[in-house]
Amino acid sequence: MGLNIDVHDLQLTYDTHPVLDGTEFRVERGDLVALLGANGAGKSTLLRCISRILQPTGGQIILEGKHLQNFNTKEVARLMAVVPQETTADFDFTVEDIVMMGRFPYLRRFQKEDQGDQEIVRRAMEMTGISHLADRSIATLSGGEKQRVIMARAVSQQPEVLLLDEPTANLDIGYQSMLLELASRLNREKDVTVIAAIHDINLAVHHFNRFILLSGGRVLAAGRAEEVITPENIQKSYGVSASTYRHPLHGVLQVSVVGNRKNGEHVEGGPAAHVIGGGEEALPALELLSQKGCRLSVGPVSAQDSGCRFAHFHSLPVIIVPPFTSMNSEHRSEHIKMMREADLIVVPPIPFGEGNLPIFEEVEIILKEGKAVYIIDLEGVEARDYSGRARNLLKGLIKQGAVALEKVEDLPAVINSGYNRDGGGVNER
Amino acid sequence: MAVLFMLLVFSTIAAMVWGAVEIAWRDIFVILANTLPFYESVAGTEITQVYRDILLQIRVPRVILAAAVGSSLAVSGAVFQGLFRNPMADPYVIGISSGAALGAVFAMLGGFSLALGGFGAVPLFAFAGGISTMMLVYSMARVGRAVPVMTLLLAGIAVSAFLSALVSLFTYFAGEKLHMVVFWMMGGLGGATWQQVQVMVPYALAGYICVSFFSRELNAMLLGEETASNLGVNTEQVKKILLVGASLLVAAAVSTSGIIGFVGLVVPHFVRLVAGPDHRFLIPASALLGGSLLIATDTLARIVIAPSELPVGIITALIGAPMFIYLLKKRRKLRYFGGGG
Repeated sequence: MGLNIDVHDLQLTYDTHPVLDGTEFRVERGDLVALLGANGAGKSTLLRCISRILQPTGGQIILEGKHLQNFNTKEVARLMAVVPQETTADFDFTVEDIVMMGRFPYLRRFQKEDQGDQEIVRRAMEMTGISHLADRSIATLSGGEKQRVIMARAVSQQPEVLLLDEPTANLDIGYQSMLLELASRLNREKDVTVIAAIHDINLAVHHFNRFILLSGGRVLAAGRAEEVITPENIQKSYGVSASTYRHPLHGVLQVSVVGNRKNGEHVEGGPAAHVIGGGEEALPALELLSQKGCRLSVGPVSAQDSGCRFAHFHSLPVIIVPPFTSMNSEHRSEHIKMMREADLIVVPPIPFGEGNLPIFEEVEIILKEGKAVYIIDLEGVEARDYSGRARNLLKGLIKQGAVALEKVEDLPAVINSGYNRDGGGVNER
Repeated sequence: MAVLFMLLVFSTIAAMVWGAVEIAWRDIFVILANTLPFYESVAGTEITQVYRDILLQIRVPRVILAAAVGSSLAVSGAVFQGLFRNPMADPYVIGISSGAALGAVFAMLGGFSLALGGFGAVPLFAFAGGISTMMLVYSMARVGRAVPVMTLLLAGIAVSAFLSALVSLFTYFAGEKLHMVVFWMMGGLGGATWQQVQVMVPYALAGYICVSFFSRELNAMLLGEETASNLGVNTEQVKKILLVGASLLVAAAVSTSGIIGFVGLVVPHFVRLVAGPDHRFLIPASALLGGSLLIATDTLARIVIAPSELPVGIITALIGAPMFIYLLKKRRKLRYFGGGG
């Protein structure tokens, strides 16, 4: 039937370190709640307070209007079942034995399990798809099978509330989704209130309809996915930059972590690099330079291509040329300005055509001013040259001092040696 | 279970038959039958009084005591192994034996002649030593209201080591009583009397009942305390009760027979290997097997160098260890206790 759970100003302090610090929320009966938050945010601790393993140092947990402390141990076990992250099953109990243990809170001392219990156990094993394992020893099962056995035990406990503490942490993607599907089925069919601590947000959004985000032992946000899972909240609780978007195929809200380094957060004193051209071909160079802590600028790129999106995503300076047009003088002077601000210029292995050949003139200007220019994969240029002139133009640049590199991976070495030598820019060579 | 019961009956009869003096099994039944009220056998008169005395005053109490000690050790071993989730645990793991030994040595060296209710000073001191060690270890391991089993185990080992050192120290200065001390520590049932039976058996029974009440809880505890608690087991309470129950068993056993090794370690493993870890079966089965084993080995101890006898602890280890190794080898898939398969 499900239960309402009110958590009110919950406090729990280990030594002097507060793990829960005024946690407060309400879970309605029949809710399907994902508990999100970084490691150490208090997810497990909160669940263990609700399941009465831990005694909070302050605040209250109220189950359907009644204080949790006022239930006895067996009553709590009849109301709540717990599926932990991992269960040590060293003993030679059979799967059926383990599932039958879910009936413990319903049995009096020395009372034997009766037909009713057996039937409940049989159905729990059927529901979790482990009937064929009934006589196997739990110690011989794989992690995924074991977790389903624990789930079956929880089902046979016939709880009103199901608590899952990172139940999928050690499972492959197939078992992960199967286990969470089981939880939502219990929620659907038996109206069980489900609270699950979970790490994988993208998995969580598929299976849950309410989200509680913990940070530092407090509730940072609670509600529907789009209210809780926002870049700001993710940044606050996990300390990483992330972007959220609707998945192009299934339309569900997704999170993608972009790491910590956006433009402007580059390594202090790292070189400024300008990468010419957009397109898929420029991405490896952009990614590599970004990883190495370079301050980046990009351009010219046509709107909507990969380089352009990369630049937008990382808020990089970029020169955008509208589709199907060539660069005008404004673009060109802007480009030169941008290159002047950089310490080095990279020409990635992009395709060349009449549209972008004018770039070479600008590069030549910059080269004459003494900037370092790196041309990647000169040898392979013919395959991506649609003008027939690119090879000669590039060779001309090399004559004037540009450096040819075989592949993108060679970039860091030359940047480091060239850059460190004089500290200011790569002027020589 | 029926097989084990038969084993117990069989070893009991064997123990009564064999010894320094052999008594025919027919005579045994006659003698025993004669002790029943309102029964008068004609054949009974033909058996000499000597046989009657050997059987009723020496062998029967000794067999009962062996059964009680053996099953106490095996059951407490099973409980400690389950409670600590540790295959190395045995009845002596939390130092009860060292405490008992210290008490016993103290009594022997002090030469106390005090006898409460006609009961010797050595068992009395041993019992007190064992129980107070358990209480000491328990209070050392307690954190607030909870007693983490790992702390309990470690505190037990530390206290045990300390007390053992004291025992060694006393033994070193034992002088002419050295033989007595060493012999006691090897463990044996020599000189069993009806009086010992009367004192020992109630404790053993109390401990056994206490422990068997909580078999199902013990099953859940095998999955970890948190899991047990989630299944509705009041873990702290169960731990306390089991600890007290098992300690009663051990203290009763040690105080009557000294330190008999191996029974408490091996018998529960043996039963688990054959029948699985369910304590509702494991505990009574361990009691039966432990009792039979000790009766059998004690009989051997009496007859191998008759009319003198060996300390039974030597025999239990000599027979038990190879048997256990054989079983381990035979059942290659030793999966319980983290075997992994």
